[in-house]
Amino acid sequence: MAYTEQELKKELETKEYEYGFYTDIESDTFPIGLSEEIVIAISKKKNEPKWMTDWRVEAYRVWEKMKEPEWANVRYQKPDFQAISYYSAPKKADPNKKLEDVDPELLEMYKKLGISIDEQKKLQNVAVDIVVDSVSVATTFKKTLAEKGIIFMPISEAIQEYPELVRKYMGTVVPTTDNFYAALNSAVFTDGSFCYIPKGVRCPMELSTYFRINQAGTGQFERTLVVADEGSYVSYLEGCTAPSRDENQLHAAVVELIAMDDAEIKYSTVQNWFPGNKEGKGGVYNFVTKRAICEKNAKVSWTQVETGSAVTWKYPSCILKGDNSIGEFYSIAVTNNYQQADTGTKMIHLGKNTRSTIISKGISAGKSQNSYRGLVQVSSRADNARNFSQCDSLLMGNECGAHTFPYIEAKNKSAMIEHEATTSKIGEDQIFYCNQRGIDTEKAIALIVNGFSKEVLNKLPMEFAVEAQKLLEISLEGSVG
Amino acid sequence: MDLKDKLVSSFLAFENNIDVHNPVHDVRTEAIKNFETKGFPSKKMEAWKYTSLNSLQKIDFSIFPKKESSLEYKDVKKYFIHQIDTYKIVFIDGVFSSNLSETTHDGVDICLMSSALTKPMYKAVVDVYFNKVASKEESLTTLNTAFSREGAYIYIPKNKVPKKPIEIIHFSTGNDAALMLQPRNLVIAEENSEMQIIERHQSLTSNAVLTNSVTEIFAAKNAIVDYYKVQNDNDSASLIDNTYVDQKDGSHVKVHTFSFGGKLLRNNLNFYQNGERIDSTMKGITIIGEKQHVDHHTLVHHIEPNCESHQDYKGIFAENSTGVFNGKIIVDKIAQKTNAFQQNNNILISDKATINTKPQLEIFADDVKCSHGCTIGQLDEEALFYLQSRGIPKKEARALLMYAFANNVLESVRIPELKVRINKLIANKLGVNLGFDL
Amino acid sequence: MLKIKDLHASVEGKGILKGINLEVGAGEVHAIMGPNGSGKSTLASVIAGNETYEVTAGDIFLDGESIEDFSPEERAHNGVFLSFQYPVEIPGVSVTNFMKTAINESRKAKGIEDMPAKDMLKLIREKSELLEIDRKFLSRSLNEGFSGGEKKRNEIFQMAMLEPKLAILDETDSGLDIDALRIVANGVNKLKSKDNAVVVITHYQRLLEYIVPDFVHVLYNGKIVKSGTKELAMELEEKGYDWIKQEAAV
Ligand SMILES: Nc1ncnc2c1ncn2[C@@H]1O[C@H](COP(=O)(O)OP(=O)(O)OP(=O)(O)O)[C@@H](O)[C@H]1O
Ligand SMILES: [Mg+2]
Repeated sequence: MAYTEQELKKELETKEYEYGFYTDIESDTFPIGLSEEIVIAISKKKNEPKWMTDWRVEAYRVWEKMKEPEWANVRYQKPDFQAISYYSAPKKADPNKKLEDVDPELLEMYKKLGISIDEQKKLQNVAVDIVVDSVSVATTFKKTLAEKGIIFMPISEAIQEYPELVRKYMGTVVPTTDNFYAALNSAVFTDGSFCYIPKGVRCPMELSTYFRINQAGTGQFERTLVVADEGSYVSYLEGCTAPSRDENQLHAAVVELIAMDDAEIKYSTVQNWFPGNKEGKGGVYNFVTKRAICEKNAKVSWTQVETGSAVTWKYPSCILKGDNSIGEFYSIAVTNNYQQADTGTKMIHLGKNTRSTIISKGISAGKSQNSYRGLVQVSSRADNARNFSQCDSLLMGNECGAHTFPYIEAKNKSAMIEHEATTSKIGEDQIFYCNQRGIDTEKAIALIVNGFSKEVLNKLPMEFAVEAQKLLEISLEGSVG
Repeated sequence: MDLKDKLVSSFLAFENNIDVHNPVHDVRTEAIKNFETKGFPSKKMEAWKYTSLNSLQKIDFSIFPKKESSLEYKDVKKYFIHQIDTYKIVFIDGVFSSNLSETTHDGVDICLMSSALTKPMYKAVVDVYFNKVASKEESLTTLNTAFSREGAYIYIPKNKVPKKPIEIIHFSTGNDAALMLQPRNLVIAEENSEMQIIERHQSLTSNAVLTNSVTEIFAAKNAIVDYYKVQNDNDSASLIDNTYVDQKDGSHVKVHTFSFGGKLLRNNLNFYQNGERIDSTMKGITIIGEKQHVDHHTLVHHIEPNCESHQDYKGIFAENSTGVFNGKIIVDKIAQKTNAFQQNNNILISDKATINTKPQLEIFADDVKCSHGCTIGQLDEEALFYLQSRGIPKKEARALLMYAFANNVLESVRIPELKVRINKLIANKLGVNLGFDL
Repeated sequence: MLKIKDLHASVEGKGILKGINLEVGAGEVHAIMGPNGSGKSTLASVIAGNETYEVTAGDIFLDGESIEDFSPEERAHNGVFLSFQYPVEIPGVSVTNFMKTAINESRKAKGIEDMPAKDMLKLIREKSELLEIDRKFLSRSLNEGFSGGEKKRNEIFQMAMLEPKLAILDETDSGLDIDALRIVANGVNKLKSKDNAVVVITHYQRLLEYIVPDFVHVLYNGKIVKSGTKELAMELEEKGYDWIKQEAAV
């Protein structure tokens, strides 16, 4: 019997759960700063095979020679890479901390999102009262997957248990040399997820980060690798609507997806890292490299709802290598206060009859800057490539900016590419119409924004969509006077 | 010596020939300094990502034509819109040709930049306008500024409308092995005035020619300027056209660019809307083949409220040609109620042709209507079949469809004879006789 | 129920309403007619609380209480409904979702819990049947791509859902075909009771044959220049507005 997401959720609600099923690494922290020695030490600490250590070192050497990119439409104080500690064990709950010690504003937000008290505690690193049997949840879950031959585990474990598999695929989509942040991640990543779906298998549940809600310490340089073998299907959910106040300012994750012939991967993200306060102080720098490779008849859909982070730099992309492969990108990016987002996608058409769709909805409020940056490239061999792009921006207030930078490069005469972009604001007449029906202005804005984002919200798995909707509402609260 | 060094070292020689006490001297000196620091733009720069000037820089261009040439009107008649009477400002290898020209000082000034820059009577105007809207940062513009000496000078006073359109033609002859030209035009339309200008560059030699042109256009309150650029040069000639437009309240400026001939064409067209109720229109038709390369870079900067801009560029790319479109719209915070539209449609008709397009919106005001659309596609096979089934041969049918694709850009051309001429050029370029009256 | 006293309103400094006096009692139907641009829609907007218009003098009372300081949504919560002459499009928001939000917001204002989904469905079914609206229609984006007639019918559907105390119908008849007009009028009549009131703004006598008014007012140049019974509407249909304008000029 398939164990559905729904059932899992119910179980989680009733049973409570602990941090998950990860190898507990001893609690110690490395000295601050980055060097080859540190990279080797990280690898050693994690008991990695030599190839992995070498791989990291090579990445480090490349990174050392690279410059932090500056082309994105974002301004920020560059992080000092020598002032960061690259290895720290997962944080344990602080036995003295109480929920009352937590910022009430944050708790209020949790309440609106409908996050349970225990979950709130976990998010705030507050010890949970009831000690729960986490192992049983994880075990049930693992069992269902194992029956199907699906591997889903922390990447650090996968390196130990399935070294051949990891070695074969890691770095094939995002090479260590790809870019500054990807190289950094390759050198120092501490953990992340590995997922392998065997030939012809449909993964019976949404693989989500729910049950590893507080996979602390891996957030900063997370590494995800999803391999969908021929004819398989998987839907993967990443992130959490709950706002996380991670004190790590810099996040540089790498996500690699491999969709083999006839396989399909759906990858949905809700990103709600701390965006900084109303004055633009603090907040996470989120520099992510996400890329998928699609073989023959394969399909990859990226769906993202980006509401958090002070600075976002993120372009989930598809390399449409196989004939008839399909890439999709659905995105909602909300910026408020002083947030800056430069996000979009790359669709690289290499195979024949490849198709891609890009739907991007940008909402800017406060003093924020929101940019869409996309590339649609059709190589000379990609006969009959098709692309449709739609980029809409909604501006709220007069101190924010919306920017669109689509690059289109076509080298094949049979390509059909359509790109449309619009910029607009919420009409006063729309607000009055809602008011007249008894809906106050704040609610009216939420309603209109949800309508604006609907095409993308519809692509999210049902329960994620509901949370995402609430999240949009909260992110824009107080943005219109 | 590479071209940059050659240009920089020629600067002294250039200045020696002219009046160093002229106030323009300082402007030129500043400009050459900027060029010296920056040099030619490279593909590493975002704005030059898709266009390389490397091969051009390898050519040993002569910077000052060695001897003067003359031409007979009958030999070059076909390059003029000869069906109608026009004012003419004609240059041969960068030097004014009085026998081919028809200038005027009758209530308006349609004459020479060299006079404007040297004669005291123009000083007041030159002080106000010269090098005021042209970029002081962009290296090729400053290169032109450093060597600015000759070009068209057009001044239309308040409420005046010249009797006829103005043609500006730059011929280059085969007397120098390879020639680099840097014309500089200044166009001033005072309040309520109106004018029409047709500009073209024509090489009469198979030697390489590189033109780096700068045109400054000032449209005062309610002025109307129609500027037509006909780019149909031969395949050894390259053109970098830098045009800067400064508009005031209620003015309407339209620039049409028709790009059919030439080796490498780069159009930098910049509009600055310094007033309200301004209308800026940019239209272009590009039909190229072989190894031609055409790059359109437009910028509309909406600085004040209640203005409009319209862009419509169509391109057909055959053989090994490359097309680039980069259209940037900036809407400032105070520029509320802006309407900005941009459309770029392209057809690739060869496996080896490339199109790179990059529309760009940067919006800081909320009460605006902005949109851009961009398509790359082919001719509609069904329409093709339909025409064929009505007895039109495939080749003509294709031409007809391409013609129809490009044609709507011509609707806003207000000189009927020019429209006919462009129609013929399109038909020519598509290689067919359309068999109906244009 | 509604009492308007010497109401003056202007937009961008331009006076549009120049002293309106009107009283509408519970259970009554009033018709307002008048030439284009005379201020009918402005009056409707001002009653609904549109802040584009500045009230420069006078006051509006609902059940004896001045609503001058009420926001548009507060007026709606107090039972004021306006069927817009030009209904606004809201892309991506379905009719159902919109109605659900509107109803629950009103309930919230009154301190009542959200309407249970079951009741909501029942209500939607009932009212869409009343107005002969296809259920598929309700999942479409609000007014987006609706035909002129569909928009108007949708307005009355919303009215039926919200059951207002005071309904103002601004040219709800224009754009409706003959069948739709009958359906809409029927709907309005069914919703009528001794406790609510309807103000119909129209140019045509035809609607008034279905929704029979107790009083007819002529608005001209920002003022009510003539009031009468339904016979006045017939007279206007026959003779036009010239005679009224002349009378007003005197
Ligand atoms: N927002 C506004 N800004 C400027 N003028 C306005 C505005 N709203 C209304 N007006 C003007 O006020 C006057 C009255 O308009 P209103 O729409 O109330 O007329 P009406 O009686 O409803 O006409 P119709 O029968 O055509 O619907 C008109 O002259 C109109 O142009
Ligand atoms: Mg009206």
